[in-house]
Amino acid sequence: MADKEFTPKVFYALCAWCGSGGSETAGAYWLKYPENVRPFRVMCTGALDSAYVLRALIEGADGVAVSGCHPGDCHYNIGNFRARRRIAVMKEILNTFGIDGDRVWLRWVAHGEGKKLADTATEFTEHIKKKGPSPLKRWDT
Amino acid sequence: MGTKAEPRVGVYICHCGINIAYKVDVEAVRDYAATLPHVVVARDYKFMCSNVGQEMIIEDIKKFNLNRVVVASCSPRMHEKTFRKACEKGGINPYLFQMASIREQVSWVHEDEKEATEKAKELVRAAVFRVIYHEPLERRFVDINPNVLVIGGGIAGMQAALEIADAGKTVYLVEREPSIGGHMAKFDKTFPTLDCAACIMTPKMVAVGQHENIKLFTNSVVESVEGFIGNFKVKICKKARFVDEDKCTGCGECAKVCPVSVPNEFEYGMNERKAIYRPFPQAVPNVFTISKLGESPCRNACPAGLNAHGYVKLIGEGKFEEAFKLIMERVVLPASLGRACPAFCEKECTRGEAGGPVHIRMLKRFAADWYYENKGTQPPFEVAEKKDKKVAVVGAGPAGLSCAFYLAKEGYQVTVFEREAEPGGMVRYAIPEYRVPKDVLAKDIEVIKNMGVEIKTGVCVGRDVTIDDIFKQGYDAVFLGIGAWKDRRLNVPGEDLEGVYTSIDFLKRVNTGERPDLGRKVAVIGGGNSAIDAARVAKRLGADVTIYYRRTRKEMPAFPEEVEAALEEGVKIEFLTTPVAFKGNGRVSKMELIRMELGEPDESGRRRPVPIEGSNYEVDVDSVILAIGQVPDSEVFAKFGIDLNRNGTVRVDPETLMTSREGVFAGGDAVTGPSTIVEAIGWGRRAAYYIAKYLEGANLKEVKPYDADRLPVVDKSQVFKRERFEVVERSKIKELPVEERIKGFAEVEQPFTEEEAVKEGSRCMDCAICCECKQCELACEAQAIRHDQRDEIIEVDVGSIIVATGFKTFDPTPLYRYGYRRFPEVYTSIEFERLNNAAGPTEGKIVMKNGKVPESVAIIHCVGSRDENYHRYCSRVCCMYSMKYAHLIREKTGAEVYEFYIDIRAPGKMYEEFYNRVQEEGTHFIRGKVAEVTDIAETPEEEGKLIVVVEDTLAGKVKRYPVDMVILSVALEPADGAEELARILGISQDQDGWFIELHPKLAPVSTASDGIFLAGCCQGPKDIPDTVAQASGAAAEALSLIMRGKVEIEAATSHIDPEVCVGCQQCREVCAYSAIDYDAGRGVCVVNEALCKGCGLCAATCPNKAVTLKHFKNEQILHELEGILL
Repeated sequence: MADKEFTPKVFYALCAWCGSGGSETAGAYWLKYPENVRPFRVMCTGALDSAYVLRALIEGADGVAVSGCHPGDCHYNIGNFRARRRIAVMKEILNTFGIDGDRVWLRWVAHGEGKKLADTATEFTEHIKKKGPSPLKRWDT
Repeated sequence: MGTKAEPRVGVYICHCGINIAYKVDVEAVRDYAATLPHVVVARDYKFMCSNVGQEMIIEDIKKFNLNRVVVASCSPRMHEKTFRKACEKGGINPYLFQMASIREQVSWVHEDEKEATEKAKELVRAAVFRVIYHEPLERRFVDINPNVLVIGGGIAGMQAALEIADAGKTVYLVEREPSIGGHMAKFDKTFPTLDCAACIMTPKMVAVGQHENIKLFTNSVVESVEGFIGNFKVKICKKARFVDEDKCTGCGECAKVCPVSVPNEFEYGMNERKAIYRPFPQAVPNVFTISKLGESPCRNACPAGLNAHGYVKLIGEGKFEEAFKLIMERVVLPASLGRACPAFCEKECTRGEAGGPVHIRMLKRFAADWYYENKGTQPPFEVAEKKDKKVAVVGAGPAGLSCAFYLAKEGYQVTVFEREAEPGGMVRYAIPEYRVPKDVLAKDIEVIKNMGVEIKTGVCVGRDVTIDDIFKQGYDAVFLGIGAWKDRRLNVPGEDLEGVYTSIDFLKRVNTGERPDLGRKVAVIGGGNSAIDAARVAKRLGADVTIYYRRTRKEMPAFPEEVEAALEEGVKIEFLTTPVAFKGNGRVSKMELIRMELGEPDESGRRRPVPIEGSNYEVDVDSVILAIGQVPDSEVFAKFGIDLNRNGTVRVDPETLMTSREGVFAGGDAVTGPSTIVEAIGWGRRAAYYIAKYLEGANLKEVKPYDADRLPVVDKSQVFKRERFEVVERSKIKELPVEERIKGFAEVEQPFTEEEAVKEGSRCMDCAICCECKQCELACEAQAIRHDQRDEIIEVDVGSIIVATGFKTFDPTPLYRYGYRRFPEVYTSIEFERLNNAAGPTEGKIVMKNGKVPESVAIIHCVGSRDENYHRYCSRVCCMYSMKYAHLIREKTGAEVYEFYIDIRAPGKMYEEFYNRVQEEGTHFIRGKVAEVTDIAETPEEEGKLIVVVEDTLAGKVKRYPVDMVILSVALEPADGAEELARILGISQDQDGWFIELHPKLAPVSTASDGIFLAGCCQGPKDIPDTVAQASGAAAEALSLIMRGKVEIEAATSHIDPEVCVGCQQCREVCAYSAIDYDAGRGVCVVNEALCKGCGLCAATCPNKAVTLKHFKNEQILHELEGILL
């Protein structure tokens, strides 16, 4: 187990519109991304409570990616702007906790941008791989 | 359904044929699911979405008494509804269902089968964990508004609109061009049947135009769309076309008289159209439209708002009388202005960047001189019916005369009181004769008199009569245009000596025929225009003139041309010096000066001159003229209840120009201090507007502001983007030689001849396109021209939207090697379409630009399509239309046609047959991507031809084909603005910019946004039959929606627990739908479920966690999360 290459658990929150749409487009074009990426549907990126992100990190995720509609395209008009603010703040708070705020990414993905979704999933996995396991995991076992 | 009951979950894993099963070990997932808590039954099946699959769920619900269901299959978007319905049929609430996406999010996107299976297990586990906490929700429905919005009036939009309208429903059809028709209206023949596009298209256009259920908005764009399926609120911006659509008969008389020509977009710039135009004769609606981009920079720069663009254009057309009339609509004294205006307009003229600004001022002079010579001094307006109100104007300068003229034009009785012996004010008394000859001014004033203005000279208001007297005499309003006549003084010793003049006093003497004895050496003090005027006049009186100015040339307020002329005439200027004393015995003989240096900038922004201690020096002088500025001679008016500013100017309301005394208005130099004639005239006209309103009894604070209808200025840089302008040098103005000039007061500038004027006028670049010369207004018998029309926002409610915005053709300019825009005989396919069209620029004759019929034509396929550098996709229609061209060219000209293709794509009914036919007709097909089109000949027969260089991949040789004409079969691209529209509608674009359908196979006209459908090329390139079919499909979808009458909407709304809510109202602030109200009585927030869309922003924002989004409750989300990450 210890010798195996570190495969991070990546939690990928997707809004029900563009984010999920992007994942479906990626599927429809059979674009590949790593298996360790776990998609998770919320109605809107703006509805993604900070508590959920923290909980995901506590429960064993090594990184949390978030994708939703591009600015101006939000299905709910302004939700993604709330998300942008909330995540910016969240990163700061995580830093002060000693959890690298860069373990949380927000990247806009439109319904049609299957490739961007797959790329984000791949890049984020690589990014977290470099960072190593989440420090919260050390209290496990 | 009791939620308290023990959860009993059924799990169903779908193979999706082999789509899931090929990567995911479905049986293993099933067996794993069976071990999960509360799972009663777990099964797998080939197609869960099939009837058999659904029946399986329904039966299990009954058999095992299930109260929760999980299906792991494709994606919620695809089949969540299907399975919810199955649950409902089985007797459980549809929201007690959860779906795991193991196709789109697992099998299709992952390689490793083991990993994929593990992930599928986890997703199923998460779904089971979540569904246990699901609660039943009530389904919600809303009514569907039966109206439909169709965006785009091409063949797709028309077809869809007609289908829906014929079914009796209302359609709002929005088209941004002035006519519907789209690209198909530009085509000549259509492949493969070769029937005429217009013949099959025009009846449809007419049907759309006349259909009682179609509300047509042309020249309009969709500005915003709000709401959701069944209930969209749409704002349509109906752009001003400056023509009343209901009145215009489409006769075209207006276009005949319009002086402005621009490249014709409809013909891709292959010919020109007028500023007032109709894209093509069969346009629907059959009305004209004016291209007006705003106000031209020249017109915008004019302080009097004179329409320079308009009269310059009219002069360019030889319409001198009309030009004069247009000038007189905004200014008086045109001949004087044409000589002495600083021409703010010319400084802004866009032509300045392409050969020098148009001589706008000289053209005004020309128009005025021409009118006086050929038509006399009758004003070019009919006098309005006389009104019984009387207005007194004080001062017959430019401001007063302007005010008087425009009031008289409105029919008011106007009397001007002038204290001097002659009217004209500063123009008469301060501007020297060599700039504005007195007989010219006399004619200008004659026109004003002929308008009915009475001028009483020699009456000084304030001295001879008071303002109160004037009102007593029955005048209803007064305008003070008293100018700024009082010269400032230097306040230094010796200012009262004989031989020390003030500039106004001096110029006035000379202008009234006096020739003061100045002696030999004359010093002029000051750097403004009157200093220059005084110096040049003194020069003409034979003196040796030196101007002394306390700053440097850069800070001089005088106009540079004037300074230049003075220097030419031998006037000397000394900078950075100022007099401190004038000395002499009775008469001035010496002047003591002190040198200055520039210090810190003062309030005017110019650097303040500071005296240098001890630098005093003396010069000999015979006379001194002080030209250091003027102030209004206004003290006396203070007595009549008129407030003055500290510098003596009259205080007015900056908008209405009314003074502190009711009914008394003021403008011009009296208000601003010394300025220019044209500014004073602008003030006068503005005052006339408000005086007229005042006399009508209106409340001046509420009337429409003066010039409120003026349009914003056009952006000059855009003018150069519009078309390519040649540099045309501005004509030289002939001037009297210097030696002639200084001998007397003869006019310096010599007038334009008629030919010169016309030539200069035609240098105008038509920045705003329409010049508002209003010739169209005169020509239009139907009185349909409405220059005051403005953009209008119209709001409509619709239930569904069909997007049919079509495509645009690829611009091949970046493909330099194909020579487009470098060689005149290289055309794009759509240009050739017009060239070949009987209604096109050549009336359907296929000829080269030199008028000759081509003997050989090359058609290059896949230009911009199937090309990594531009578009990777195939544009689908190019092969077929290229072959259509081959057929038509051979038929019309007999020329040899070479088709250079990569692959021929002819899949369609009778398409392959058409290909065969064209081959049999003798068209040459050469397989190979063209390397370049060049005009460099290698052999004598290539001389004068375009040579197409290509590797013939079938022959395996590089070959050269000399031809006369080259047609580039260019790609189709999404229409301009597609991105913007996607944003407005909330629909998506693929990587090429085409709008994305919901499903490439099964939902080709729907979008991911419910209630919005796609038709035609906006979804991807397609030919006419496919476009029409898709449009009918979109119409059917919209109608199906309407017939349903109701649509289910999100049942998951937010809920606020009043026990927990503290009433901080943060949730209200983030809600984009105003769906949260504050109940002040209880101090808590309450969700209005009818408005809630279920986004959950409030829930995430609530610091107290009082808000929950149903179906996305904390326990549901956290358990799902746990299931994923366990």
